[in-house]
Amino acid sequence: MSDNYKILIIDDEEVVLDSCTEILRGSQYKLATASNGSLGLEMIEEFQPDLVFVDLKMPGMPGLEVLERVRAYDATIVTVVITGFATIGSAVDAMKRGAHDFLPKPFTPDEFRLIIRRALEKRKLILETLALRKEKEMLRANFAAIVSHELKSPLSAVQQNLFVLTSELSGQISSDQLVRLERMKFRIAELLELIRTWLRVISADIETIKENFEEIDIEPLIYTAIESVNSQATRKDIELHVHLDQPLSHVTGDSGTLTEVLVNILNNAVKYSYPGSEVRTEAFNQDGEVVISISDQGIGISDEDLPHIFSDFYSGKQGHQEEKGYGLGLALCSRIIEIHDGSITVESEPGKGSTFRVWLPTCPNESQANEPAIAGFSSSQLEGEL
Amino acid sequence: MSEHKRLLMIDDDPDFVSGIRSILEGAGYKVDVAYNPKDGFEMLESNPPDLLLLDIMMGRGAEGVMLARKIGKDPVLREVPILIITGIREQIAFLFPGEPVHPGFVPTDEILEKPVDPDFLLGRVSALIESSEKRKVEVK
Repeated sequence: MSDNYKILIIDDEEVVLDSCTEILRGSQYKLATASNGSLGLEMIEEFQPDLVFVDLKMPGMPGLEVLERVRAYDATIVTVVITGFATIGSAVDAMKRGAHDFLPKPFTPDEFRLIIRRALEKRKLILETLALRKEKEMLRANFAAIVSHELKSPLSAVQQNLFVLTSELSGQISSDQLVRLERMKFRIAELLELIRTWLRVISADIETIKENFEEIDIEPLIYTAIESVNSQATRKDIELHVHLDQPLSHVTGDSGTLTEVLVNILNNAVKYSYPGSEVRTEAFNQDGEVVISISDQGIGISDEDLPHIFSDFYSGKQGHQEEKGYGLGLALCSRIIEIHDGSITVESEPGKGSTFRVWLPTCPNESQANEPAIAGFSSSQLEGEL
Repeated sequence: MSEHKRLLMIDDDPDFVSGIRSILEGAGYKVDVAYNPKDGFEMLESNPPDLLLLDIMMGRGAEGVMLARKIGKDPVLREVPILIITGIREQIAFLFPGEPVHPGFVPTDEILEKPVDPDFLLGRVSALIESSEKRKVEVK
């Protein structure tokens, strides 16, 4: 333990102050004393103690008030109350109000030293926690810069060249070689996407998506999302059904991140579906909100996992190893939806499937809802076809 | 029309540059490259291109952002459209807390995230050049 801890003792009894000074003489601690509450509080500012002893029964400012003011000044200062046997009850009171411990009078030098040691251990822990918290904040702030440079830059450079090589070499290489190039692109794209997701969840600045908010039609986003899981669904022989109310109300939001949410949920739905089953996407207007519901007939989520699936880094205990996610997707989804003032819910039954629902508030100056959708095809055309 | 257009790319990652350069040259653009902000600014001043492709995160810092701000203050150079190519879309907001994701350094600019899809890149390059030329006609 570091040597130069500072201890302040506030007590009106000179005997107590003197004996404490005597006990700590020659120790590594720096000691200061004050004979009443007001003097003690003045000393706190100039002495900056790590630990403060406060006598509960003093003339002038009562001990409990001194205690509260110390905590208000700096809650990381550890406080211990000094009390007579008759006032054990008020010692308990004091501890309820944040005092770390109490020292009953009369006390032996050993008892005094022990309480000091324990209180300073507490102080050390508090300071360490603070330092760690600060470090975490700094890491968070620097994360974007580190990620972009050390991880993302080299990957982006590789990917950029693969993009070009694929087109430059087409016609000169065999179709098998071309497929391998495409696979490389795909794998790197996945890795880039993973980094992006981590970055966004970890960064506190995800709120910046609010800058891109505009009035949007959800329908094309739903079709984009479905399109992106289409090939995966085909491979597993999963049918994708879509049914959207016509017309869907517009919402205020950022189409990029909302699409990300839908892709994420649909991806999970397909990933956790049994082959040959179906995934159903529905959307409708309800009480000033647009509801998007995505249901699968897959493995479902256990009751144990269900409350945690929107938490950071949570990946279900159930399910096969190869189906494990990165545990960040749904946490990110729920944050994105929160920023849109919406909500996301899940219902699930193990072995039967899950239904995710996203609620988004309708755009306040909703006016274009009756215009035809931009997507260019109607939902009836697509119903059951994808 | 693209064969008459001259582009300047300022980026310190030679591998990334070669990937982008190949796309642009394949489409008939002439592409000059500077691998650091200092050379880049000199080339920009001595012979302003039709479009600047700028990496905002060069070396260890945000030298590209400083360069973009400097260009924004120059009455002549600020008319050059800029395609900002960044490792992370939110980079500027991360580096300068409180700044928007896309502060708009010059009248015509846009942010793209690395890596860039070739067709998308070509589409944005020609759109930016076009809108900056339109702006020049309007100003005159």
